Amino acid sequence: MDNLLHNLEKSPVKDVRTVLVWDLFVRLFHWSLVILVLITGITGFLGEEWWLDYHVWAGYGIGGLILARLIWGLVGSPYARFSSFIFSRAETLRFFKELLRGRPSHYTGHNPAGALMVFALVFVLISITISGLIVLGGQENQGVLAGVVPYFVGEVFEEIHEVLSFLLLALIGGHIIGVFVESRLSGDNLVRSMVTGTKESASPDEFKHSKLKSAFVFLTVLAVIVGSGGWVYVALAELPPNGLIKMTVNKTYATECGDCHFAYHPSLLPANSWHKLMTGLEEHFGEDASLDKDVSKGLSDWLQKYASEKWDTEAANNLRQLDLKNLISITATPYWKKRHSEIAKAVFARKSIGSKGNCIACHKDARSGRFDDQQISIPLNQKEKEI
Amino acid sequence: MSKPVFMLALTGLLVASLAPVQAGSARTSILEKLQKEAGTAFSAERGKILFSSTHKGGKPKTNSCTVCHTKSPLKTGKTRAGKDIAPMALSKTKDRYSDPKKVAKWFRRNCRSVLGRECTALEKGDFITFMSNL
Repeated sequence: MDNLLHNLEKSPVKDVRTVLVWDLFVRLFHWSLVILVLITGITGFLGEEWWLDYHVWAGYGIGGLILARLIWGLVGSPYARFSSFIFSRAETLRFFKELLRGRPSHYTGHNPAGALMVFALVFVLISITISGLIVLGGQENQGVLAGVVPYFVGEVFEEIHEVLSFLLLALIGGHIIGVFVESRLSGDNLVRSMVTGTKESASPDEFKHSKLKSAFVFLTVLAVIVGSGGWVYVALAELPPNGLIKMTVNKTYATECGDCHFAYHPSLLPANSWHKLMTGLEEHFGEDASLDKDVSKGLSDWLQKYASEKWDTEAANNLRQLDLKNLISITATPYWKKRHSEIAKAVFARKSIGSKGNCIACHKDARSGRFDDQQISIPLNQKEKEI
Repeated sequence: MSKPVFMLALTGLLVASLAPVQAGSARTSILEKLQKEAGTAFSAERGKILFSSTHKGGKPKTNSCTVCHTKSPLKTGKTRAGKDIAPMALSKTKDRYSDPKKVAKWFRRNCRSVLGRECTALEKGDFITFMSNL
């Protein structure tokens, strides 16, 4: 039936009239996707770390939209169905040849070039969404995959996520150029069509199509997928985050070390560093911080037991690479320096922060060793807080 | 109010009202011990000079008590790492100089940091006397 339709469409223009090509679902889908991709693009490429939530939620939204579009592509209205724009290689080649000559055949729905673009966009968007979830679970220990993805996998997928995002940018550029070229060559205003849903068409007949049936099948399939997927989601989400171990509370640490400075999470230095630090307390970052032998021994054992080697968090993994001239300083590590390079000295000097070593002033979850992006909040100068 | 609850409340009230007294007696005993060791009467004036002057021999970044405790013992200080320090004056921080272990620990560390040596009993006594009379 679809082939018949294309043949009819390509017949010489006789009776031009307005037909509904893009149904309400397709139009809502398209513009919602535009908004969500803009949000993920802006937050991903330009945003501060603490915008991660917006990026992630927009990403979930994109995933949901694509899922709905995939179902609608099977059961939706005629021009929305994938089957209506899967073209043979010969037809695609012919179309590109015609395009090069500047006289492409007219298609009411997607032409072969547009169809290729749709499939490429859908494929890349699915890949970005999945890779994003893997990054979120591996690197940030957040989201549905937090319990199953190791840190290094997250790191690898961050690169993939990024490359795919640039690819998406290129595709979007191509898509927009394609829309303007086709609008010019065909005389259709394709942007307006995606708003009103209508195009001028020479097609003599409209499809016989039951909207009600489409909607019903769509909702049923969606419910089945979301329902069954929901169980998997809940099961995965209940797993404890990968790489965060359970640690005994150490009250001595909180007072003996925490009286002077933020009580750094043991995962922020390797065991060797903790040992070196605890045996050199008489010369502790420019002060004498000596402790009774039994107290310092107890603390040293505890710190080494929960040192960075035992954790698979973003902070533990990255801070493990030390500054070879200063093996006991967290703020001297290359990673710490890199991540704080954009923060002016004056910011650290603020009364509300005090020093580079006062993690908790800006990282609200520093006590847990997680250092989530969303938990960053740099306090202003005038706000004086008890730390 | 039932009788046991009332008794409990009364006991609590009694303990609460006695707490400063207990801290006070602990402080007195610390001072008495230092006094015996020092042999000379303590002077708030000498304590003030010890607190406010800049010293040589200690670690370069902490050459005076005032680096962290600010020039006024009545004010909240800040460690070099950015943590608040309750005021040193007894009138502002009621439980100061009442725990012998803490007193020993902080005099040891901070005298070494600021003076490059441990403080004498006389210096400690002067210091506590100064802080108690503000």
